[in-house]
Amino acid sequence: MIRLACLFGLIALAALGLLIVRLDGAAAIVFSFIGMPALGLALALYGAARWRAGAFRLNAPPGK
Amino acid sequence: MDATGPLFAGPPAAHGVPWLALLALLLGAGAAVLLVVGLVRGRLPASYAAAAVLLPLGAYALGSLYMLEGSKQVAFCGSCHVMTPIMTSMQASGDSLASVHYTRGLVPHDQACFTCHSGYGIWGGVDAKMAGVMHMVRTVTGWYTLPIKHNGPFDIDSCLGCHAFAPSFRAVDAHRDPDLQKALLARELSCTGTCHPAAHPESALTGGSAS
Repeated sequence: MIRLACLFGLIALAALGLLIVRLDGAAAIVFSFIGMPALGLALALYGAARWRAGAFRLNAPPGK
Repeated sequence: MDATGPLFAGPPAAHGVPWLALLALLLGAGAAVLLVVGLVRGRLPASYAAAAVLLPLGAYALGSLYMLEGSKQVAFCGSCHVMTPIMTSMQASGDSLASVHYTRGLVPHDQACFTCHSGYGIWGGVDAKMAGVMHMVRTVTGWYTLPIKHNGPFDIDSCLGCHAFAPSFRAVDAHRDPDLQKALLARELSCTGTCHPAAHPESALTGGSAS
């Protein structure tokens, strides 16, 4: 799950890189409609992976 | 006559370091390193968890600001194929209202589209950005018809923001007519297409294809 989250995160960053390199309508569409959902998905997957690992438990062991 | 030279490149402040883009790139590069490590190893060290979340978020926040600011540029508007003929006709000498304003330097050259289409005041900018999102949706889905039309009546506050206090504007008899003032303020009439030339030529509204 972490790998998938990282993959979506990298897709989102690629969209950001495209926007920075060439700021035009096509890059803005990719940034808004591919990059942003990919980033949201990446964060959701990472959060879910951390939750499954017990990171959000009140009595979570240190380092979780 | 082709004018070249640093004087014609605009004010020096407009060509400074693009800090917003650079900061977004820096944060994005840091985030990419972390994500590649996570992709290869299948896990991220817990001590980097905050960075793994905050770096991409920060990069995207800066990237969004960069896009919001950059989308005011004429070149940005003209980069979509439907808008390209409109940008070209505006930059050429012509009788359309947009061309007259642009070629005479009556609107900022780099933000000419945004100046007239964003409405007046802070909410005008917000409305323009919302409209811009819908433009992207329509471009992606092909949900538009040619020739394109302005969505609703043109907000004449954009015109009045500059012209209302100009003595030359106030001196025109037609502008002093109470009935005309009432109709304009009630949005029953607009400045363009009635008394003044259309904002853009009909031929430019067809997205480059024959109408």
